Amino acid sequence: MSFVKKLAMKRNLCLNFNAMDFSEPQDFREWARRMLALRPLMMVFLIFGIVISELRFDWAEQVLGSYLVTTNAQRPESGSIWEVGHRTVTARQTLEQLITDRQSAQREAREAGTFTQIASNLPPGQGAMLSSEHFRRLYLTLPGTIAHEIVAPFELLRLLSEGRWVRTYLENEDYGLKIYLLNPENRVLRELRISSQLLYQIKRVELALQGTLEDLPTFENRIYPAERFFKALDSLPEEDLGSVLSQPEGLLGTPGRIVRVGISDEAVSGYIELGFEIEEGTRRKVILLKGREWAVWILRSYLEEMSLETQTGSGQGL
Amino acid sequence: MTFIRMVRAAFYGTLCLISVMALIGAGMFFIAVRDLPRVPEPLSRIIETPPTEIFAATGERIMVMGGREFIPLSDISAHFIQAILATEDHRFWEHHGVDKLRTVKALWVTLVKPGRIEGASTITQQLSKNLFFSFKRSYMRKFRELLVALQIESQFSKREILEAYLNQISMGVGANGVEQAARTFFGKPASELTLAQAALLAGLPKSPTRYNPYLHLDRAKKRQRVVLSRMEAVGYITGDQAQSAFQDELNLQPPSRVARTGSYFLDLVINNLEERYGPEVVYHGGLKVATTIDHQVQSMAEESLRAGLYRLDSMLGIDEGVGRSSGGEGLRPQGALVALEVNSGAVKAMVGGRNYVETEYNRAVENNRLPGSSFKPFLYYTAFEKLGLNPATVFIDRPVTIPVVGAPDWEPENFGLKHEGPMILKRALMKSVNSIAAQLVAQTGPEEVIATAHRCGITSTLEPVYSVALGTSGVSPLEMASAFACFGKGGIRHEPFWIGRVEDALGRILEEHIISGERALDPSIAYQVVDLMRGVVDAGTGSIIRRMGFNLPAAGKTGTTDGFYDAWFTGFTPALCTSVWVGYDRGEGMRDTRGVGITGGRAAAPIWADFMRKATEGDPPREFKIPSDIQFKMVDPITGMEATAFTLNPIRVALREGQELQEHAVWEEDPVDSGKGELPSQSLPF
Repeated sequence: MSFVKKLAMKRNLCLNFNAMDFSEPQDFREWARRMLALRPLMMVFLIFGIVISELRFDWAEQVLGSYLVTTNAQRPESGSIWEVGHRTVTARQTLEQLITDRQSAQREAREAGTFTQIASNLPPGQGAMLSSEHFRRLYLTLPGTIAHEIVAPFELLRLLSEGRWVRTYLENEDYGLKIYLLNPENRVLRELRISSQLLYQIKRVELALQGTLEDLPTFENRIYPAERFFKALDSLPEEDLGSVLSQPEGLLGTPGRIVRVGISDEAVSGYIELGFEIEEGTRRKVILLKGREWAVWILRSYLEEMSLETQTGSGQGL
Repeated sequence: MTFIRMVRAAFYGTLCLISVMALIGAGMFFIAVRDLPRVPEPLSRIIETPPTEIFAATGERIMVMGGREFIPLSDISAHFIQAILATEDHRFWEHHGVDKLRTVKALWVTLVKPGRIEGASTITQQLSKNLFFSFKRSYMRKFRELLVALQIESQFSKREILEAYLNQISMGVGANGVEQAARTFFGKPASELTLAQAALLAGLPKSPTRYNPYLHLDRAKKRQRVVLSRMEAVGYITGDQAQSAFQDELNLQPPSRVARTGSYFLDLVINNLEERYGPEVVYHGGLKVATTIDHQVQSMAEESLRAGLYRLDSMLGIDEGVGRSSGGEGLRPQGALVALEVNSGAVKAMVGGRNYVETEYNRAVENNRLPGSSFKPFLYYTAFEKLGLNPATVFIDRPVTIPVVGAPDWEPENFGLKHEGPMILKRALMKSVNSIAAQLVAQTGPEEVIATAHRCGITSTLEPVYSVALGTSGVSPLEMASAFACFGKGGIRHEPFWIGRVEDALGRILEEHIISGERALDPSIAYQVVDLMRGVVDAGTGSIIRRMGFNLPAAGKTGTTDGFYDAWFTGFTPALCTSVWVGYDRGEGMRDTRGVGITGGRAAAPIWADFMRKATEGDPPREFKIPSDIQFKMVDPITGMEATAFTLNPIRVALREGQELQEHAVWEEDPVDSGKGELPSQSLPF
């Protein structure tokens, strides 16, 4: 018995192969009889049923479709819409990066308390937009003389009174900070610059305000006790005092006691910087002022003489 | 018995065929399935890409690029949904991705009726093709498309499939998806489409170019009728409704004047954006770009340039609509116009040629054509600043020869081949006298003139030769407009710009233009030059402007190059500065039918006047700002002395503080050799 027959019998398919006649039909009647027998007809109906059910219920499509759904996750993201999608993703990432950079520059500028912080935080060539109020706050942190160098306070008052100055754009450039005071249409009302030298000065002032004279290298070897400084100052003619300290009111207004005074070794545009170290409780700070070069030189020569005298007299030096 | 054998052979043959086909099908399935694309979930995720939108300064959206707006099915007109289903796939709700009956029918038609090919793609198959496959025809591509369609049907609901299809379908003229198409063609959202409009749109996907209603309205209407018939056949509408819809007014929106095709300005904007952000961000990033262009002013500029060039065609004797000169020597002359705001440098209008479709070369920006005499204001400024001259200084118009080291002597000639003798500098500029300009540049040196031009905003490389003062180095109309605006603004230079602000899709600012001016020229000397140029417009070589009825205070200068290759007029009011250039692309002189050369005053100035008249219509007359140290005097145009009651045609000149008029007739001495006194034989820049 063939394997097929055995299998058929095993599964009770009731296909009696022995009973089937595989010989060639001898006439048409025989052929028709065989064709219209129960088994072929059942087979035809079965096939027909399968075809009809597929046409009616689309099960083949559904089976294939469902199979493909199961393999979807493993398949590549290819094809035109995916390419567009990838480009969109790349574009979004690039934009996100640009926006993030801009916003972080903007945030740092907003959080900065001084112009030097803005200058050091802003990447070169980038800018940040601030409100006019914020700019005023930064401006007011500057010592009067430096603030004047940037823009006169009257000028800012005028712009504010006109009501057109709404925003300020700061841009970090090679030579320092470029500042545009803008109206609502982004038109520049006034263009200001803080040169890198001025920024350096501002930085020094900021440093000075927090530390001692030793923090400022330009005063090295030229630091004198306040007592000796004012004694030397007393030695100057009355008319020269104003040339050393043109605005002593600023010092008077500062709480605390002057303990030491430093004289810078650099003269800029006919002026020499003087550093007044002030003790307030446990804190020390330095106020920087400028004196005329010639007057400060005279003062310094007095101080040096007094130092020599002190050294020869008591063997003590500074 | 033979019959039985035949039937048997047919039976077994069919069986074999079916087996072979099944095997091939299975093989193809396993081959195709290997690199079948992944289907995204949800479908809208990747269809939805934000568009980059470009806006005019006046707020209108003038261009949308790349993006697709995904709208839900509920926001699409039922008429359109029915129209598209009736036309593309009326059994959409019944099949499972493949319409077998339709496929059999299509196969039958394709095989039995030679020359006819019938498509049977369902909406799902079309969606599959549009999303993932190229348009390359191959059996394997078709099979893959079918498999993906089957997957889409299994993975998504019919509503989701239809929604995705309607949101990505291409309708031509850059409109992807029904929402964009409805807005582009009818200026309304897809939810408001009428039956007639819906039927017209539903006919487009078959061939968006062939049925483009802007180009082929008759074809589009025929296709609309087909769509309406299909809707009637399917039972969505009655015959009466179909008939009535066919007769309904479509209310097509006119194509956007500043559209993708046809705008030199948008090309410039897009190129700039691509340079700054890269093409991927521009086309897929969903930027919002606010430009400086004024939609109305742009239309006026296009109209004026077109009309001016037609007038020029007539002067040149070129037949209307032929496209070539009557002599067949070359193409029609081209033109360019740039208008920008004097106070900011914002470009308000830009036309780069007579027809963008024919040539996309932007002559307003990329052209480098000789400006001729329109360059002289830079020379006069330099002479006033460096030599301390003033508009009343007298020079003699006479043949001049300027020795040039290592080169032949320079012998500039006047346009009219005549010399008028002594005259003040204001008159010399008004009449564009070359011999006096040559004497001035001989004294200032070309380098100084070039420096002035660069200070004003000319960015092109200028040759440091004497003739540079007569405009022998190429510049673009944009540069000229920008540089003349510097005079108009009293010596303050504003960088020209056309992008005001760029935001991302969420409205976060990427950049914004800051309008900052830079002092480039002395305000008083700049005003003196403006006053000279007012003379050009009021009574000089540009006086056609007044004759054409443009009456607002304006200043400008004509320019014509040797051989009449280029004709220019650049001029400004206190608000708007416009530069116009006309000429042939490939060096061909412009001469009218009588052989007379066409100058800037004849060809470019009328275009300028026509445009400015429209662009400034309704503007109140506004004077140029006069610096406090300027005083006006009436002088004799020949002697430069203060005019008396007997002076013939006195001229008003602007003098700076400390500048006095001559009390006696004194001619300015110049170091120029005037020995060669013969009259020139050929005209030179004017």
